[in-house]
Amino acid sequence: MSMGHVVGIDLGTTHSLVAVLDADGPRVIPCPETGDVLLPSAVAFLPGGEVLVGRAARDAAAEYPFDVILSAKRFMGLGYEHVSDEDRLRYRFAPPRPGQGIVRFAAGGRELTPPEVAACILRELKRWAEADQGEPVTRAVVTVPAYFNDSQRQATRDAARLAGLEVLRLVNEPTAAALAYGLDRRSEGVVAVYDLGGGTFDVSILRLRDGIFEVMATSGDTRLGGDDIDQRLADCLLGDVPPALRGHPQVRAQVLALAESTKRELSARDAVTIELGLPGGGSVQRTLTRSALEELVADIVERTSKPCRQAMKDAGIGPEDLVEAIAVGGATRMPLVRGHMERLFGRPPLVSIDPDQVVALGAGIQAGILTGGRRDMLLLDVIPLSLGIETMGGVFSRLIDRNVTIPTAAREVFTTAVADQTAVEIHVLQGERELAADNRSLARFAIPIEPQPAGVPRIEVTFLVDANGILSVTARDVRTGREHSVEVKPSYGLTDEEIERMLEESFERAEEDVHERLLREARVEAASMLSATRAALAAHPGLLAAGEAEGIQKAMAALEAAAGSDDPVEIRDAIDALNRSSEPFAQRIMNRALEETVVNRPVEEL
Amino acid sequence: MSVLQAYDTDSCWRCAASRSTALMCGDCGAPQPVAPDADLFTILGLPRRLSVDPAALEAAWYEASRLVHPDRHQMASSRARDLSLEASSMLNRAYRTLRDPVARGRYWLELHGRSIAGRNGHLPPALAAEVFETQEKLEALAAAPRDPTLRREVAAIRGELAERIGARVAQLRERYARWDADDATAPAVLDELRERLAEIAYLRTLAEDVDEALGG
Repeated sequence: MSMGHVVGIDLGTTHSLVAVLDADGPRVIPCPETGDVLLPSAVAFLPGGEVLVGRAARDAAAEYPFDVILSAKRFMGLGYEHVSDEDRLRYRFAPPRPGQGIVRFAAGGRELTPPEVAACILRELKRWAEADQGEPVTRAVVTVPAYFNDSQRQATRDAARLAGLEVLRLVNEPTAAALAYGLDRRSEGVVAVYDLGGGTFDVSILRLRDGIFEVMATSGDTRLGGDDIDQRLADCLLGDVPPALRGHPQVRAQVLALAESTKRELSARDAVTIELGLPGGGSVQRTLTRSALEELVADIVERTSKPCRQAMKDAGIGPEDLVEAIAVGGATRMPLVRGHMERLFGRPPLVSIDPDQVVALGAGIQAGILTGGRRDMLLLDVIPLSLGIETMGGVFSRLIDRNVTIPTAAREVFTTAVADQTAVEIHVLQGERELAADNRSLARFAIPIEPQPAGVPRIEVTFLVDANGILSVTARDVRTGREHSVEVKPSYGLTDEEIERMLEESFERAEEDVHERLLREARVEAASMLSATRAALAAHPGLLAAGEAEGIQKAMAALEAAAGSDDPVEIRDAIDALNRSSEPFAQRIMNRALEETVVNRPVEEL
Repeated sequence: MSVLQAYDTDSCWRCAASRSTALMCGDCGAPQPVAPDADLFTILGLPRRLSVDPAALEAAWYEASRLVHPDRHQMASSRARDLSLEASSMLNRAYRTLRDPVARGRYWLELHGRSIAGRNGHLPPALAAEVFETQEKLEALAAAPRDPTLRREVAAIRGELAERIGARVAQLRERYARWDADDATAPAVLDELRERLAEIAYLRTLAEDVDEALGG
């Protein structure tokens, strides 16, 4: 039974990629139409109901600033209380629903959770992969920031499910990067991975030995990234804009795009002159130097220092123990960031693999490992943040420490404080702070028990963290040995029922969408096929066999007629018919071209 | 967990070959339920001794991980996947516990039916004087958190504490070798082990308090 290829997906804050492991190594899969390998993580929900993904969506941001959702990843697994005032300038949120913590964007007249937005991106990457593989792709390895907590990981898995992808494994981004470098360089020893992505920062310390990639410690900041640098620069550029226009959403979107491109240019050049066109005519010009930019964002880059020192401390190593420091993420192209890395790790960063692609390539490798394609490599990753429960007095009581190798399990026995309690309530949290209220709430659940005197029931609760870093909880009555059902209510996530409903809705909508898309694609292909055939007939009349031209002309006329129909299948059939009748002719053109190149080449090259 | 309860046979659940306490079936490679009587040493295939060779421990952990890790059983049946998750988490627990001489010592006591003094256990008499002295300094620092002289003194205490803990752990290792050569399960040995571990635990808690006082 063929189960199709498993792909690796880097679901990034600013752009996303899909990769696959071939016999000769991992490679990123391009968009079948444009050949691009980076899909901007932008989704436009236009007022007419149309949904655009990628570059087209990003380009629509200036016109529809609130209907285009950029950097949705920043909100994965978050609640309304985590939304900042700055976020409210860039996004429009739906009013909170009672009893539901999950954030919802308001865009194109719809309400959308971050996993639904991310699912649009994943669906597009799935399409790229299917075009490349020539068969359905239903399973993937998806990367997440190492410092993502349980809710953020669950949200990522939910997004994949909504996109019709089963997540075989969530892999931490820096670990994936280490896999790609490990396969490439075969180095052994302790390495640091510094991953400054669009919206998140991770640092991981790994030990590489005999194909085992053991993560020793990880740290990071899920709200720190290249986006912050862009935003800082954009705020600075906005200072040049007349005050009356500064709040204008289109101007803000335009300035943000300009800031992003200016930042990239200043990695290669010392100074750039930028020009910003204003609504209603007029423009603003200014010259910006690299050193001015570096001064402007120095404190943002400095914020990566503390997690790096923490990770080295937790791993019990110093910079002198490192054999390599790997740079990952587009922002590490900035000379300022590279210099900072060198100061932190005492060595120039390793940048030999494209920092935008390295995570996806690693995810592709992990997909190969899981399907048995690479039995020589194994990842041993850790949980980034401690897990525990709220105990008496609002104290956070840890059950699983951070940086413990996963999978891992912990057990705790609970009892009741009051007679005749019918349930034990458990509040699960994640974080490093002493007080429960200072940590991130993951879920609450209640274990039903039979009424008994206080302190008599013995409920053993097992926390199991799987290889994805995701927690599951089971409970057992110690006296009877009976398993209890545990109804987990995620604090900021989607319930299974909500996901089911979303899936049903998207299937209904998807049928119309797919028909439209197939029709459009078939028409485009028909047009290009007709013009290519016409050109070939005109260019190589001498290569036509007797009577062959008539057959091709007839198939062309049939395709022209079919292109007017609303049925993509009919157009496809006509394309295939033309293909068949013109194939021998096309083959002769190919052979002729080949002969010509061979004939024209010097003998030594053959 | 259901997986643990399902253990009721001496043969592999998949191929019915007879099995030992190993996490994997030697015949068909299927992960096996963790035997109820398996201790952490047995799980890693190491001798049941207080002294552990770090290189041998790491090699055993890597080797077993290559076999039982969920990444190796992703394409197998859901039963095999569940068991691999269970076995792998047990394996990681074994490595984590046995790697650290203090955690290993605590596990040794547990294995031999001794209760372990927790974090809030009674103050070991040998430490009383210096603990009181340190706590006085910390209280003074809490009252005047920016006082540079006090900060310097507390920082010096932190350095001393780190050294003392290191020295005690090193001493513990020496004892382990000596006890292994004699009888590491003798009641007198277990008593001394418990006392030594309680002292280290106390010093560590104190070091954490000092860290916190300086970090704030």
